[in-house]
Amino acid sequence: MKYQQIDQFAAGLAREKRAAVYDGSKAGYDSRYKALFTHYTAPDELRHLAGEIKQHAIENLDTYLPQVEAKLQENGAKVHWAADAREACEAVLKIMRDRGATKMVKAKTMVSEEIELAHFLEKEGVECLETDLGEFIVQIDHDHPSHIVKPIIHKNRREIATSFEKNGLGEYNDDPGTITRRARQYLRHKYLAADVALTGANFLSAESGRMVLVTNEGNSRFCLAATKVHIALIGIEKIVARDRDLAVLLNLLGRSGTGQQLTSYTEFITGPKSAAQPDGPEEMHVIFVDNGRTDVLESDCREILRCIRCGACLNVCPVYRQASGHAYRAVYPGPVGAVLSPLLAGKKFPEMADLPKASTLCGACNEVCPVNIPIPDLLLRLRDKGKQAGSAAASAATPPMGGYAILATQPAAWKAALSMGGIINAVPTPLLPQAAKTWVETRGLPPWRGGQFRKWMKQRKKS
Amino acid sequence: MSASSREAILNRVRAALTPLPRRAAYPEFGDNVATMPAFDREADRWTAFSERQKLVNGMPMVGATALATWLRENGHLRGYCDPTLWAELAPAFGPEFSVSTDYDRAQVDEYAFGITRAAGAIAETGSIILNDSTTSRRLGALTPWVHAAVLRRENIYSDVAAAIAALGKDTNIIFCTGPSKTADVEGILIEGVHGPGVQIALLID
Amino acid sequence: MSPHERHRPNGKRVQLMATCLCDAFFDDAAAATVEVLEYLGCEIAFPEAQTCCGQPAFNGGDWKASRKVVRHTVKTFAGEEPVVVPSGSCAAMMFHGALLEFEKEPDLPQVAQLASRTWELADFIVNGLGVTKWPGRYEATVAFHRSCHSRGTASGPAALTLLGSIEGLKVAPFGEGEQCCGFGGTFSVAFPTISQAMGNLKLDHVLATQPDEIVSADMSCLMHMGGLAPKGGRPVKTRHIAQILRDSLKNASATAR
Repeated sequence: MKYQQIDQFAAGLAREKRAAVYDGSKAGYDSRYKALFTHYTAPDELRHLAGEIKQHAIENLDTYLPQVEAKLQENGAKVHWAADAREACEAVLKIMRDRGATKMVKAKTMVSEEIELAHFLEKEGVECLETDLGEFIVQIDHDHPSHIVKPIIHKNRREIATSFEKNGLGEYNDDPGTITRRARQYLRHKYLAADVALTGANFLSAESGRMVLVTNEGNSRFCLAATKVHIALIGIEKIVARDRDLAVLLNLLGRSGTGQQLTSYTEFITGPKSAAQPDGPEEMHVIFVDNGRTDVLESDCREILRCIRCGACLNVCPVYRQASGHAYRAVYPGPVGAVLSPLLAGKKFPEMADLPKASTLCGACNEVCPVNIPIPDLLLRLRDKGKQAGSAAASAATPPMGGYAILATQPAAWKAALSMGGIINAVPTPLLPQAAKTWVETRGLPPWRGGQFRKWMKQRKKS
Repeated sequence: MSASSREAILNRVRAALTPLPRRAAYPEFGDNVATMPAFDREADRWTAFSERQKLVNGMPMVGATALATWLRENGHLRGYCDPTLWAELAPAFGPEFSVSTDYDRAQVDEYAFGITRAAGAIAETGSIILNDSTTSRRLGALTPWVHAAVLRRENIYSDVAAAIAALGKDTNIIFCTGPSKTADVEGILIEGVHGPGVQIALLID
Repeated sequence: MSPHERHRPNGKRVQLMATCLCDAFFDDAAAATVEVLEYLGCEIAFPEAQTCCGQPAFNGGDWKASRKVVRHTVKTFAGEEPVVVPSGSCAAMMFHGALLEFEKEPDLPQVAQLASRTWELADFIVNGLGVTKWPGRYEATVAFHRSCHSRGTASGPAALTLLGSIEGLKVAPFGEGEQCCGFGGTFSVAFPTISQAMGNLKLDHVLATQPDEIVSADMSCLMHMGGLAPKGGRPVKTRHIAQILRDSLKNASATAR
């Protein structure tokens, strides 16, 4: 492995894909900036407040989890608990089997990607259909999403049109309007034929047991209007203390993610449908998912649990823009993923410990984060953790620092190295240490001036 | 399995949090800290709502006649209407219309428009509020290409914070801010995905 | 990064942390720093035992190695005077990174003491000494690159205050200023594809304004951009802000003759 894996992926990325990812990300960044800075005079203060709101909830989950469970049950929902991916999948399957259900329509939820639900259900003979347009296209293409809000940011219309044709959704037509209308037409009958709706939740209020779904397409509305059973997969970190917190968070989420004040649909769900309402779920199940979140809670990186999945950090990240989401080999890519994915990997942390290295620690992510997560600090902590775990992935292509530490704590040796360093100008490139070789292959090196400043300073002191 | 998982998870949560010397406090903040400063909360709410609804490509309208005219001019003649509303609206609709007060799932492709009640609206964002108790059929508000939500002036909230404070007990409340949309294909905005492509707020006094 | 509190300078004695990069490659930037500070009436101590701030190992994840170097730095810069450093990233290492690294260490208070008096140069001039207008003359259009480690600190605005006040100097704005230049320390050699792509994008934006020079308070970024540019057939002139300030002074005394 000459260079880091994520860099190798970036090097192999097709120009068209990189352009698509770059343009899509930049557009997201620009729209966020415009929305936040024209609508508010002090948007950074709001971000800081939202960070405090979420941090409070996270650090008091021992109070709020039992509290929200009781509220949900009071509201008529059934509450299940899944320690890991397997338990979550099996809990979903059991709810379906108990009712003889074989068809599920699902709205977009990152937790379902984490637990690989669709794959599991299909193996069990259950139809699990993605209804979010981007996820639907990913599903029929046997692909993976590459952005947490814009799953097909890496695809262009020609690829989608080809997919549609291959899957019997009409002759090749790459007009975005036509593609969308075809998906609309195909999916509406699927919703109406389905038994079960599966959603995630953007937020869950411990005060009222109210869960919130934030969408633009209307797919989750349709899932919850057409079927009789609602299953909500909710990561335990989605809880907020009070309903009023939602006013702050919802005002930040749309603007940060897509430059919208509010998305087309903000749904507040407190239980199954009312008795008088003919359409909608008669049962509601909430499955609380841990799947490594308690590990994160225990770690010194628990601030990452504040994340409200807006995607703003991906949009601004210069490394994400060059590498694209698939480079991160994980459900969560980009800056948030570089912290969350290695931590959720549990025992496999060393294999994923290169993700926190894929950053210059520029801090742009923290600057756009609606909940002010100090991502660069968390990346640094994970670099320390990776080194201590002896992760080969993390240390690949990174010059070792033992010798540097010796030099930098022995002033006499340091000064000697400064004088002798001029030798670097004379050594042929292939014989240089790897780091120096990489540098000179791609950049010019300034002339070595070791010791010159100190000489100058001594002379100045004399005069 | 779920019961023991419950204990396991809660125990892990407690174990993770107990060592913290102090827990992050609930921050103090005003109810309107996230309301837009430039938004005039004293302005006439229907006017403010209409302006903002237009900004999100929604369509504010006044009176049943305006709705019937628009539907006719756009060739939407077959639809669904909340039975409790139809008596009031019917006079504005001529014989060219075919309006059902029953929603039949099998005819999902036949309804070009759906007329149901709005529970309220939000002026700051141009959002219509729907809920289970005032929406006769969820599918009737959602599946047709055109949705007209009938609104009363006194149900318009000033801003998001006020609307959230007033959420109440209904188990399914939706803030609809413009028509359904996606930008999944190359970031190009397309309206009318799974939900309505036209979102009308119909003011009836 | 939250802005950090520093103790107000008491008198004009300062210690100079020259940085390992200036020690090895950019002696004139360090010399210019000395000349500028002396012009401002500072008495400069240069502890000879200084080596490096410890950032390369810290960013690389080898916190054990980094702490050794930070401890040596704390010992070297013992005292009460402000420590002035012509580098936003080295300054940030002292007042932010080191505090993170020493969170669980018994000598955190000593590290914090050094952190509380460490200043990046432009920040020191404007906010430590209260100087907001720079004398002299410097005829050039420059592109100012604010390094990422100065994000959230007073350094960027301080540098712009000084540059903007120099007669004859025009600071040209350029697009996507929030995007990193791609240096990132060992990132530049562990992720060379991405590092180069980022650097070239930065150069595209900067050079679109046709500046005479690219100026920064950080030689690391300038070394990266300055090294990348000629490989792409578009050599650029890079200068540290200290060099601009010193040369501006030189032009003042030249015209005053």
